[in-house]
Amino acid sequence: MLNADQLSALQKLFHEGSIEASRALALWIAKSSVIEIDAFEQIPLEEATSLLAAGDEPICFCATDMHGLLSGKMILAFDDASGFALAEMLLEQQFDEGEGWTDISTSAALETTNILCCAYLNALSNHLSKPGEPIEILPSPPQFRRDFAESLLEFALMEQAMVGDNVILARTKFEIDGTPVHWTLLFVPDAEPMSRLSKRLKDSE
Amino acid sequence: MEELGSAATASIRMGEMAVACDGAELRTLLGSCIGVALYDRRRRIGGLAHVVLPQARQQTDRPGKFVDTAIPALIEQMETLANCELSLVAKLAGGASMFSNSAVVSIGQQNIDSCERLLAELGIPVLAKHCGGEQGRRMLLKTENGEVVIEIVGQDPVNL
Repeated sequence: MLNADQLSALQKLFHEGSIEASRALALWIAKSSVIEIDAFEQIPLEEATSLLAAGDEPICFCATDMHGLLSGKMILAFDDASGFALAEMLLEQQFDEGEGWTDISTSAALETTNILCCAYLNALSNHLSKPGEPIEILPSPPQFRRDFAESLLEFALMEQAMVGDNVILARTKFEIDGTPVHWTLLFVPDAEPMSRLSKRLKDSE
Repeated sequence: MEELGSAATASIRMGEMAVACDGAELRTLLGSCIGVALYDRRRRIGGLAHVVLPQARQQTDRPGKFVDTAIPALIEQMETLANCELSLVAKLAGGASMFSNSAVVSIGQQNIDSCERLLAELGIPVLAKHCGGEQGRRMLLKTENGEVVIEIVGQDPVNL
């Protein structure tokens, strides 16, 4: 369990990441973009799986594994309509939701996730590095899944569930051209690295 | 633990369990976890646990989270509700590996193996299972007849 001070320090760190990710997204989609940490919290396992409040409708997950000082998962979650809107914005072509996710629309979502995650993780790495002691946090290529939100979150949270009854996760909200969009970027860190990260933040204060 | 009657439907979250009777339904959404449905046909009493890990390793405050604590606790709750010893059968679902590069890909299979081993020790036959794969499942237990319905995104429902 992390205490309130540790959670607050981590939230500040992730805020730095959000700034970089906002810039990267704005460049990528050529529209003004704001990504903000909506919540950085430690909650009981059984509450975490219903966090996206997607009900019974399937949602899309683009999930990246993080390796290094901070390990775990970064996940871009969105409903079909929001995902197709993103693909249309990027590729300047219409997608028929009835045809489902094609290779090209999936690729647009995955590349967006890749750009967001890399921007976020670079910012975190830079913020945590000390002179002569660089820190690397490396992302794996993202994977796309469309499934029940609770099932996907359950799998993402399993690493933390193996060591405790509470899970730590950070949630972001998005605005494109001043309008909120139904995308959520989730950080689901593994339990052990969070303690290590928290200690490093304390050491660097 | 929740006890349900009179045709209600309860959702069971990760690490939780519940018992029901009188036509009530129990449902849960599964990824790599396992849904363990127990049912007594004569009394029409059912129980559903959403187990996360195979072994409690002396953690007893959340019995629904672990195979080796959830199954005995679920049986006890069902027999308390029935006020007699029950003749139970089991159906299992879940245990998917949803992202292939994850470090937790094997946990689903470990959960399935643990469930089957413990149910065999307790003499409870597993009538059906719908496990593995890469997709999540919605699992619904109907206490009216013991039927378990499995739904997977993009596929027709399956009755177990």
